[in-house]
Order: sequence, then C-alpha cells, then structure tokens
Amino acid sequence: MNWLKLRRLWRPAPLKRHYDTVIIGGGVHGLATAYYLARNHGIRDVAVLESQYLGFGGSGRNTAIVRANQRTAENVRLYDEGLKLWRVLADELDFNLMFFNCGSLLLGHSEASVGAFRMAASTHNLMGVHSELLDPRQCAEVIPGLDISDRPRFPIQAGLYHPPGGIVRHDAVVWGLAKGAAERGVHIHQGCEVRGIDARDGRVVGVRTSLGDIACNRLGIMAGGYSTAIAAMLGIELPIHPLTIQAMVTHPLKPFLHHVFSSTAYHVYANQTLKGEIATGAHMDPQVNYTTDATAYYLKHQAEALVELMPALRGVRFMRIWAGLADMTPDMAPIMEGDLGWGGLYLDAGWGYFGFKSGPVAGKYMAEYMASGERPEVLKAFQLKRFLENRYSGETAAVMKYGHWD
Amino acid sequence: MADAGRLPPGPTCRVDFLRPLPFTYLGRPVTGFAGDRVASALYASGIRIFSRSLKYHRPRGLYSMEGESSNTFMAIDGVPNECAEMTALRAGMSVRAQNVRGDPRTDRFAFIDRFDRMMPAGFYYRLFHRPYRLWPLFQNGLRRMAGTGVLDPRRGLGKDGPRGDGVEAEGGFRAEGGAGGGSRGRMGSGVRAERYLNADVAVVGGGAAGVSAALAAAENGLRVCLFERRGWLGGHLDWRTRDFDGVALHRRGEALAARLLEVQSRSPEIVKVFTSSPVTGVWGENLVTGFTVGTGDDPFRECHWECRAETVVVAAGCMDRPLVFNHNDRPGVMQVGAAWRLARTYAVRPARVAVFSVGDDLGLEAAIDLAELGVEIRAVADAREAGRQDPELVAALEERSIPVLSGWAASRAIGRRRVSACELRPVNGAGSRRFQCDLLVANAGMQPRIGVLASVGARLAYCSHTHSYQPIELPPGVFVAGSMTGLRDPRSIEASGRLAGLHAVTCCLGGAQKPAGKGAATGGREAKATDRHAAASVATARRAAAAAASPRHDAHAHPGPVAGCDIRQGPAIGRGAKAFVDLDEDGTYKNVVESARQGFDVPELAKRFGGFGLGPGQYRVAGQNLAMIMAEMRGDPVEAAMPTTVRPPLVPPSLATLAGPNHDVHKRTPLHGELAARGAIFRRAGAWERARYFSEDRACRDEIRNVRRNVGILDSSPLGKFRIFGPDALKALQRIYISDMRGVRHGRCKYSAMCNDMGQLVDDGVVVREGENDYYLTTSSGRAGTTVEWFRYHTRYDGWDYNLVNLTDVLGSLNIAGPNARKVLERVTGSDVSNGGFPYLGCRRITVGDGVEARCLRLGFVGELSFELHVPSSYCRYVWDLLIEAGADFGIQPFGLEAQYCLRAEKGHVIIGAESEARVTLTDIGMGWLWDREDTVSKKVGAPALRACEKQSGRMKLVGFRVDDGLGSPRDGAVVIDGDEIVGYVCTTRRSEALGWQYGMALVREGVAGRGGRIHIRQEETPGRQEPCTATVVPPPFYDPEGRRLRS
Repeated sequence: MNWLKLRRLWRPAPLKRHYDTVIIGGGVHGLATAYYLARNHGIRDVAVLESQYLGFGGSGRNTAIVRANQRTAENVRLYDEGLKLWRVLADELDFNLMFFNCGSLLLGHSEASVGAFRMAASTHNLMGVHSELLDPRQCAEVIPGLDISDRPRFPIQAGLYHPPGGIVRHDAVVWGLAKGAAERGVHIHQGCEVRGIDARDGRVVGVRTSLGDIACNRLGIMAGGYSTAIAAMLGIELPIHPLTIQAMVTHPLKPFLHHVFSSTAYHVYANQTLKGEIATGAHMDPQVNYTTDATAYYLKHQAEALVELMPALRGVRFMRIWAGLADMTPDMAPIMEGDLGWGGLYLDAGWGYFGFKSGPVAGKYMAEYMASGERPEVLKAFQLKRFLENRYSGETAAVMKYGHWD
Repeated sequence: MADAGRLPPGPTCRVDFLRPLPFTYLGRPVTGFAGDRVASALYASGIRIFSRSLKYHRPRGLYSMEGESSNTFMAIDGVPNECAEMTALRAGMSVRAQNVRGDPRTDRFAFIDRFDRMMPAGFYYRLFHRPYRLWPLFQNGLRRMAGTGVLDPRRGLGKDGPRGDGVEAEGGFRAEGGAGGGSRGRMGSGVRAERYLNADVAVVGGGAAGVSAALAAAENGLRVCLFERRGWLGGHLDWRTRDFDGVALHRRGEALAARLLEVQSRSPEIVKVFTSSPVTGVWGENLVTGFTVGTGDDPFRECHWECRAETVVVAAGCMDRPLVFNHNDRPGVMQVGAAWRLARTYAVRPARVAVFSVGDDLGLEAAIDLAELGVEIRAVADAREAGRQDPELVAALEERSIPVLSGWAASRAIGRRRVSACELRPVNGAGSRRFQCDLLVANAGMQPRIGVLASVGARLAYCSHTHSYQPIELPPGVFVAGSMTGLRDPRSIEASGRLAGLHAVTCCLGGAQKPAGKGAATGGREAKATDRHAAASVATARRAAAAAASPRHDAHAHPGPVAGCDIRQGPAIGRGAKAFVDLDEDGTYKNVVESARQGFDVPELAKRFGGFGLGPGQYRVAGQNLAMIMAEMRGDPVEAAMPTTVRPPLVPPSLATLAGPNHDVHKRTPLHGELAARGAIFRRAGAWERARYFSEDRACRDEIRNVRRNVGILDSSPLGKFRIFGPDALKALQRIYISDMRGVRHGRCKYSAMCNDMGQLVDDGVVVREGENDYYLTTSSGRAGTTVEWFRYHTRYDGWDYNLVNLTDVLGSLNIAGPNARKVLERVTGSDVSNGGFPYLGCRRITVGDGVEARCLRLGFVGELSFELHVPSSYCRYVWDLLIEAGADFGIQPFGLEAQYCLRAEKGHVIIGAESEARVTLTDIGMGWLWDREDTVSKKVGAPALRACEKQSGRMKLVGFRVDDGLGSPRDGAVVIDGDEIVGYVCTTRRSEALGWQYGMALVREGVAGRGGRIHIRQEETPGRQEPCTATVVPPPFYDPEGRRLRS
C-alpha cells in the first residue's frame, strides 16, 4: 500500500549561497545530470535552477517518443543505451515512468527512402539494435488503418520498423528524476531565473539569479532552447537555432493504434498515449524565434497529413495544441562540451528533435564528464569543434538550413 | 406532440414539431424533431444516463448543453466522441453510448467507483512498476480502461476511398468538391469546404454586445465578420422571456439581430454574419479561425475558415461556473443554462420537480421561468448573501411560494443513478435541509468564456468584484464587450458592444489605439473611402466613442458590472463522497488535495499530475475552480492564483474539417497528359508530379535498353531554367559557382556546381553565354525554387546590378537521348545538328517544326548522344508530338526518372542527396576539379570551407565499385564495414545490362579502400538475415569511360 502514502516528491530546499555544482535547467537533461552526479559520483552538493516550473520547457512539451533508430553509429550507440535506461530508471527511482514499449514505424514515401531505410536497418542490426525494412503490405499489418493504396499523394513505399522504441510519460520522467535527485541531496529551485554568470581567471565561479547570487565550482548549461541565451552571457556563440515546434492531441479513444508511426514526407509523427489521445506533431516553424505560440496553419497541416495516412481519423477531433522550442544544430546532433574556454563550464544542448529520448543517458555521461573532467568516449562525436572543422555528424542526410542560408 | 418529455412550444422554441426525425439509440427507435440536438431529443425521450465516466464508470448525464464536458460524448453513426449536446439531430442517426459495458444504466464496470480510495491522484506513478516484468500486463489493462470512444482504424479504407467520418455520403450532398479535388482524380475532398476571409472588424460572439459592435462598425463603413457558435444571433437574450422595458428580452434580441441581418442583406460586402460558426482560436496578427457547420442549405457539411482581421471585438459571453459539491456529477445535476435552454429552446421538460443552487440573478430568473413552465421548484439556494439579489426576482419567487435560501448552496446530490433528492447547507454555518427532486440545477454563478481572450493573448487577472478572470491588458486592436465583463443589464451590454465597435472603428481608421507598424488601411476599405471620407469617419467615430465613454452617456447611465459570487466549493465537501472539479478525467476535490500534498500545488503542475482540464472539456469546467481551490489550499489570496493556460482549439474541430478539400498543390508539366496516356507512373518530387516509371518493372530494363540502343525521350521540364543579365551578372556567377565562369562562351555549355558555406554540393547545372552580360543557366529541379533567393542572399552586401529571372515554369524541356537522337532531331529541324556543326556541350538556337524556336543543349547526363530542347511551355505538346512522330522509325520511347537515375549512375554522374550528404564536401565526392582554387577575389561561396577540409584526413569519400561475383548483390543503403565498424554505405548500386556486372557508388571513410582495393559490404534488412558481399573499387564512369558515345 506504498502508493497510498502521499508525500511530496521533492522537498523545497533552502537556497544556499554556494554549491559545488550548479545546473541551469530543470528539464530531463539537467535533472538527469544532477541525479547521476549524486548517484554515480557522490557529488551531492548540487543545485538545479529552473526559471519556471520543472518540465516547463521541451521536457513537458514533446510527444514522448523514444527510440534508437538514428542514422549513424555514434548516435545509435548513445540512444540505444538511453532506450535501455527507462526500465532501469523506473526501478531505481521507484517511480513508474510508463514506458510503453510499442515500437515505432517510420514510413517512407519515395524510392530514396527505401535506400535510406536499408542503410538504417543494416546499421542498427549490425549494432544489435532491432530494426526491419518493411514493404507497404507489412506496414499495414503492423498498423491497420494505414492507407497503403496509391490514393495518398505520397503513397507509402516502405517502412522502417523499430520494435524497441515506444513512448514514455514525459512528465513522469521529470518528476521521477527530481524525486531521485532530491532524495540524494540535490537542491531543486523552481522560479529561479539565471540572469548572469560570474567568471574569474578563466573559470566560472557563480551565477546571478532572480533569487540571489550563487557561487559554484562547476556550472552546467542544460536549458534546451534557452541555452544559447545563457551561453551568450559568457560571450559564447553556439551554432544553435531555437525554432518553435508544435504538437497536439485529439480526443481520447480506446486503444487502436499500438505503435508510433511517423512520416518525413508528410512531416508528421503520431502515437496513442496511455490515456487514449492521439499525440501528434513534427512541424517546426522555419524561422528562428523564442516564442511558444501555436499556429492555425499547423493545426490544419497536421489534419491534412493524418487523414491521408490514416483515413479513419477523419472524424476524430483535435483537443489541444501547444508549442515548445527545439534547439537545432546544423547537423541535428547535440553539443556536449566541457571545453568552452572557461574552466568548470559544461554544456549539454542542441538536441533539437531528440532532447527527450536522450535525457537520462545524456545526463549519465554529462555527470561522468563533469565529475571527472575527462570527456567520456561516447561523447567524442558531439564536440563543439566539429562545426569549426567542418566535420558534420551524419545524423541528417540532407543539408539542413534554418533561419538563414548556411 | 404527445411526448410526455416535451413542453408546449413557446415563443423562443427552435424545434419544429411538424418535422419529426426518427433515429435510433442503442438500436431502439426514438423520434426527435427538426431543430433538436441529439441530446435534447434523447432527454425528451427519457434518457438520463448518456455515458459512463472515464475512470470510475460513474453514470453521467446531460450537463451543459454547450459541450463543456465529455458527459454527452456518444458514438454517432460510428463516429466516436461526437458531442450530443452540440450535434444537430438528423433523420436516421444511429446513436450509442460510450465507455459502457452493456447498458449505460447497469454498466458492468460501475463497481470501480467503490475503489477510489485505492486510486489517489497520480497513483499509477507509484504502482505497477515492480516487478518490472509485470508492467506490460498492467500497462495493457490501463490502456484498455483509458479512452472513451471506439474507432475502427480500417474505416474509410474501402474501395470508395476515405469517407471515414461516416456522414459524408448522406444528406444529399454531392460527394466531390468542385475546385481542386475532383478533376484531378483525388478522393476525399468530400463535402468539406474552406474559406479565407478578411475584415476590418472580426466580432466573436453574436449576442447583444457582438451585434451592437458589428452594427457600430458597419455604420462607419467598416467590413465586419461576425462569428456566432449557435445557429442564431441573440446570445442569452434568445431564450429569455422576462419583460424588460415593456418588451420581452427575446424580442429585444430578435430586433437587434434583425437590424444587423438587414444591413447584411443590403450590403453583403460590409457585413458577413456567420452562425453555427464556433471560433477555434485567435492566433498571431489577429487571425481568427473556426468552422461553420452547414445547414441543409449549405453546399458543405462543414467549412473551415480563417479570417485575418484588423481588429477583433471579443464578446463571447458567459457560461456557468460549475459548483463543486458532493456527487455533483449525478445525472440530474445540471447547469442553469442547460436546464433553461432545454425548456426554452428545445421545449423539453427538464424535470417534474427541481431545486436550484445558484450564484447569479440569471439563476433566479431561470427558476422563475421553469416554474412558469410548470416545473415544481422546491427551493432556490443562492450562494450570495441576502440583499445581493435582484429584489424583483426574489419577490417573484416568493410570490410563487418558492423558498429562497440566501447564503446557502447545494452540498450533496442524493440518488445512485440519478438525482432523487438533494441536500442544501449554509455556505458558512451549520444546518442542512433536504429536498426531494429529480433535477438539481446548480452553478457557482457565471464565469466569462475566457478562451478567446486567452488565445488572443490578453493578460488576465482575478477581479474581486465580479469574482472572475478579467482582462487587465489587451493586445493592440482587440476589444472586449458584453456580459463577459460582468455586465448583466441588456442596455449596458448593448452599450458596451457599441463602444467596443466604435473603438475598433477608431483603431482601424488610424486612431490612437492603432498598433504601431501595422498596415495603414486594409484594401477593401481603401477602395471605398477616399482620404477625406476616411478623415471624416475618424472624426465621427472618435466623437461617438468619446461621447459613449463620457459619464453622461448611456453606458454609464446603465448599471456596471455586477458583483459576482465567490463561493469556491459546496459546503461540507468531501466526507466520503466524490465532488468533481473535472468531469472528463474524474478529477475530484480530494484529488486536488492529494496533488497538492505531493508537491503539485499550483494549477499548472496539478493539471499535469492529476489531469485536471486535460480532457475534452479542457479548461472550461476545471479552469477557474481549480485556481480558486488551489489558492485556498496554499493559503494564498485568490488573486494570486492563475488558471492553467488555455490552449486552442477552443472548440474541437474534426480532422476532416480542418483538412478541408486538401488541395494538392503539386505542379504538373505541360506534358503530363501525354505521359499519362503512355502509362506513366507518377511520383511527387519536390514541387512537381513527375513520371518515374513507364511499366511495372521497377528496374526499368526496357526503358534503359531503349536509351542505350535506340532513343528515349524524357520530360525534363521541371529542370531549373534562369536568365541572368546586367552589368554585374558575371560577378554574381563568379560568387555563386565554384568554377571560373569568366570563360563561359557563346554557344557552349559550361558545367559547374554551387556549394554552400560548408563546401557541400547544393546544386549543379550548365551556364551559357547568350549576349553581352547575358547568361542562361540551368539548376537541378529541386533547387529551382530557391535559386533566386540563393543568389540574392550571397550577393546582398555588394550592391551589384543584375537581374535574375526564373524561367522554370515558362519553358518546358524535352530530352532525347540515345544513338538515334540526331536522326530524330534531323527530321524536325532544318538547323545543322551534325557532330561538326553542333558538337558535344554545344548550345544552339534551332527551329523545330513550324517555326518553334528552341534552345537546344547537347549534354550527356545519361551517357548517350543527347539533345535537350527548351521550348515555351505552351509549345511542349506540339514539339513532343513532332519528336514522337519523327522518332517512330527509330524506336523512340519515353523514359522516366528512375531510368534516368540508373543511366546517369552508370556514368558516375552524381545526384545531389543521392551521392552527397552533410558529411561530404565537393572535393570529397570527386568533383573538386570544378573548383577554381586560384580565385581568391570572387569570394566564392564554399571556397574557404573547401580549403579548410582539403588537408583533413579521415573524411568520407565517394568511391565507385564493382560487386564481386558469386557472393551476393547489395542494394542501395547497404553498409560498408571494416571489421565490426561501419565505415560507410552504398549510395546507389544497380546491375547493368550494358556492362554485364553490378556497379555502384559508396561513401566510405578515406583510406578504407583505394583504387583496386576491396570493400566489404553488408546488408541486414531484418535482424539475423545478414547478406555480406565484397566489391572492388573501380573509379567511375563505369559505362563508356572515354565518353565516345556522348561525343558521337
């Protein structure tokens, strides 16, 4: 009857004037880093600063899809480990993260997508991550209701089926990590906005916040779409474009969609939550901005796409639309960096579409990085200098362009 | 009209009893009437339990008549989650209850209601995950219990195409929309429509305030669009029969509406009134969106519309604030508006015996009105203290011997499946009274419909006079009026509407409240009003607005906002009974307490943790109550609490309606019909629909063979075609192209490429000089749309004088390729096309047929003798026919994109995106020879990056290969491995009939294989099915490496 004992998940802590480590951003990445600092490295003198409430940013605004079917080996390795963490964390944190291991199906609508999927499947399977290339008929067997005829303007040509994927209750991850971190001594401060960073002799020494100044030895910037503005306080310019990304849910329905499906041609992904709503999204406004305004255009676009892919959805109604920020790098891979020209400063940002699914595993390695000062092997592919050296990650095949032409 | 559930139709009745509509409920025949909602017809026929609740499977009944909760969500004609309160009844409907096992009255899962103690807020986060292997079982159980409506995913997949929402074929509507869909053979446009409007003033709400605002704006010549969610104007005046100034209120409303409709019929370009048109949101820059539900006269079932407005008047009115008390969800507990409108609008008898517990004079008026209609009213509790009520109404109640209990409120509904009695208690103090009744009409006073205001970006704050959330800051160009501001007197409401309308006029005509930076005047009005007229209008409107705002004017002579009711919840709440803050997700008062105890003690967190306001009703039921209750729990003043963010859509639109006709906006080439007639299979590629295959053979063997042996013809019209001219044209070319473009000559094609700042290949094509500072250039089809922007962007600081004209759509392109190409061309032109007169990479102006002038480019993308004819689009069919006829003797056959893709790959020609990607630069893919590395003055785009990467090691490089015989045959996407490590992948590989072996191109890490070396390829499409093979590195081109054929 443990679940009947109602306790605060995390206790409000007094704001100290000094912490060993301060982490900016009370989302999945920041909380996971704090949690693993305390759990794996014994660093408990940690504060997580959140300007709004926990999970206000991307952590609470995503569509909660988790998967490891990335394009390149270095990403697959990281996301695969991340995918395996959900069940471990549920036990460790004693908090049900509601991991629904439903598998995901990426739909391809062109001849080129078949080759791209074959490459992905070959890469995944060689690395021990289950993926399968499906033909349209197999796609309809996995997800009844998909229109595999030639009626849609982009007929389905292939599918990349990825059984290990699924969805996780995103808020539960935030709350569970907060609970786990707080139980290990981490202080969580909501409503604490960082307004400046103090540095001396090439090291960061503290932050100035809306609740007062806080000194620290180590500082982690893990504020999702807001990281660029925080890094700019130290004059660091990041190759990150924050774009508004939108998502929405329909009225709740009894379960009929038992997988995540997504389509790049239609620019849509969709899954049925444990509550029965169809959660769907994908579109990013093409211009750089920091707003979280939803648009009428996108609501309509999403309906146009979904009714072509799955005509049965025509009678379903949208109930709620919202928006968050995606911090896009030019190659759609993140920046995890401790070599930023300031001692004690660490950055974990630029996750774009992938910030939620990577949260716990990124936190685990960022904690290792921050505790030891040594860059873990798996993070070597995500250095900032790759942009200066023109060595892009192959996470996206296409040459991306956001905001302006580069 | 023998129906016992009905009342005699009064003057406000909207139901036509002469037109019965038979339908079925759970398969049983029921009869309603034209004008009924599904819910009103069911209620009249005695149905009280409409559904079972999400979590506890409690019986739920008709509650708001406004679709504010999922209580009356039903499956109608197989479409789940249709709101019976909002859906107009049609003959033959099949209606079923949702979330029930068996009959809704005796639902088999009703027992769950007794286990609520086991399910505190967020219990599932603390349960089911240990041991983890059992979680999938619980998870599937939870999933099955979740959700309400049942959707058949295969619906709409039949031969008839997507008709998934089930109602499209009915009602005598034509099934294909006229514009867009039908003619192009696409299914599914159905009877959905869309409309794009613009207006000077958009008015949200067609009550007294909205209509007054619209009239004020229209009288000043402004274009008005008014949107009303009900099927008629008048707002709450519509069903009120109370006498006011000697006239019944509904007559007053009708008169006001008639004035506006009269203006509309006189000047339809000035006033457009949209009824049955709920607003789904007001988005950035005053974009008002919504949809219109079609009546029998409309050519559509539903029409999505968007209205861009200069100003917005929000007069959305009020709704009941639910009273949170024990068992407040029982069928038979109803909001004031619901009971009242059932009786007055739909002539349905809401009950025999009723008790009221209200917090607003409208509630008292409703009680009197229902008594008038023959409902026995046992008592009226009013949560406000004595003396706060309209004395006239209190007197009227007392005259009818109805006890008025001021300072009292409902504390409990009694009855298991429906209300049989209720308990009233003083809000502060002891004691209780019990009344038998079959209807408990309850609210906690009224609250404004803040949805529109929130969505338009108004800042709201708690107002301790009206006890509601009121705007304290409105965005520019947005005005608010009517009962949502707390006004109740009809004269005040009309005056506030008029004032808001005049403010909108002043704003539109350049008044003080005009937002900076917005366009001066909208087009339509400009056309009608001269400057002088506009100036006069401004002056008039300003005077009128000033007069209206002055203390002597009506608006101030009439009563202002009335004091509201501040009751947070019913007396004696809890005590073992459930009191619902949110009906959709079964969120109880106790759950709010539990959420707060676990740290989720502000509305935004409680919403996510406990699920308040996340169901179909969204903020409408839980919103204000949750904020007020949480403030009290934290011990904060109520002013400190803010309701959770209101998220659009404010009324849920169906996906079919949003999608509308779903116009296909892909371009077709001038030859689309010709290609289709020859069996082309089309694919959408970028902006175009293109012929990809000409047979079911996806390897295109016949098409490829015919090009290699005879001659093929390709419709390459989407190819980007541009003219650039002007004194600085060459400078621009030097900047954009990676090669030295100074040597571009007349009559000769110069092939080159464009890079981005990272040195990645973004485009390639040819450039021809056509005159002094005058060039013609081609780009890849996919890039044609961005080429002009690309040139402009990269020369933006130079001030260069050149013009770049996109000719892509005005010129079609026909490519004839193959050994017989010249023979075909000779038959249609008298120009010299001999190898001597027109060599490889030449460019000529030739005349074909009856004098059609064509640019003719001799290129060799597919590796054969080939001529590309660029002719005006309108001549394409003519030239096509000429070539087909001339080529008949030479075996001419069309070929598609896939054949072209294979043919060029045999030549090792790169296609952007196929053999290039984000990791590789121009030099990495073997095209470094194009780069003019001596040029340091043109600032070529991409050159610095190319220079920086030149000396790097370990980059990926493009290599050609020949698959070794015997092992296997890889396909596109197979990976290249080095030991266990993935070091690259196959971009394109095909078995070539011409070569007799399988060739391919792969991007692999440098150093893994040099010329003549071996690469290991592995393909694993499904786990465990590994297909390994090896290949030998062979530099492309594979076919005709000396290029003899294209020069022949």
